[in-house]
Amino acid sequence: MTAGPARGGSADDLVEKHVAELDALLHGPSRAKSRLVEEARDGLTETVAVYTGEGEPYERAVHRAVAEFGSARELAASFQRELTIAQARHTARAIALSAPFLLACWFLVQSTGAPQTSAVPRAAQLLATHLATVAGAAVLLAAAALAATGVLARRLPVPHRLPITVAWTGTTASVSMAVATLALATASVLAENWPLTAAACALAAASHAVVAGSARACRRCARLPSGAPVTL
Amino acid sequence: MRQDAVRGHLDGLLLAVLEPAPLHGYAIITAVQQRSGGALELRTGTIYPALNRLERLGLLHSSWEADGGRKRRCYALTDAGARFLADERTAWQDFTAAIGSVLNPVAPHPHPQPHGQGA
Repeated sequence: MTAGPARGGSADDLVEKHVAELDALLHGPSRAKSRLVEEARDGLTETVAVYTGEGEPYERAVHRAVAEFGSARELAASFQRELTIAQARHTARAIALSAPFLLACWFLVQSTGAPQTSAVPRAAQLLATHLATVAGAAVLLAAAALAATGVLARRLPVPHRLPITVAWTGTTASVSMAVATLALATASVLAENWPLTAAACALAAASHAVVAGSARACRRCARLPSGAPVTL
Repeated sequence: MRQDAVRGHLDGLLLAVLEPAPLHGYAIITAVQQRSGGALELRTGTIYPALNRLERLGLLHSSWEADGGRKRRCYALTDAGARFLADERTAWQDFTAAIGSVLNPVAPHPHPQPHGQGA
């Protein structure tokens, strides 16, 4: 992350060092992470400004502000909790958006794929049915995760294992998409309506890339220690 | 004040100080301290994930505002946040009334006289 405007001196370095230490401990969607870290830096800078305004020497004001702020290790768990949920929501959205698109492709292939004379396209369609079931289940789980971490969380606590559940749901969906890609690639060689099958294959590959990357990041976040939601 | 004693009420505190007007992170911390007469001192670093969570729940919304050449994220209460705050207040009043009636009884209950005695 980029450093804020430097005013020089070891005190400024201390603020930047503190923020950089916190930044290094956190993992999650880059936008959410940079927003949280930037706000933390802004808060520290503001506190220092208030103390210097009260007449404290600058270096002492920085030390006091950092002490009141909390150490990076103390704060990392509560920050990480939010970032892990943000990553879980990101992954859930990726599943919820890409899986139905994939299902639509499968139905399109099945309805306009012309009579299948070869066993391979028929096998691909059979496989598609099973993969569609997996994709459907993943979408339902993703929708439930989005609800549980959104409006429902006003009244109900977010289950502790929800992020890891979303991560493995995403992993399962991405494996299904990889299998679908291979099956469609095989089918497109033999199918009569090969351009449509090839297009569905490309979409399956793209969906796999998006969901697999997000699921991997979610698994990583879910393994990190994260505290309970901040209360006081 | 012991932080344990107020654990679980941070959401209500943050929403309450944002009720009059939108504030940025540091001003929220200051407002809580001022309203509590200095009794509640928030660990300043914990405020940012808490604000982030309240925004995710739709109880707050935030926007960047320029202030003296700096851009700061300001938080404001949403309609859902105002309703949530009203519920928190009601729950807190019920809770304090119940505990208060046990800790500070207004008048001792008279012992019931057994029927037929004392005449």
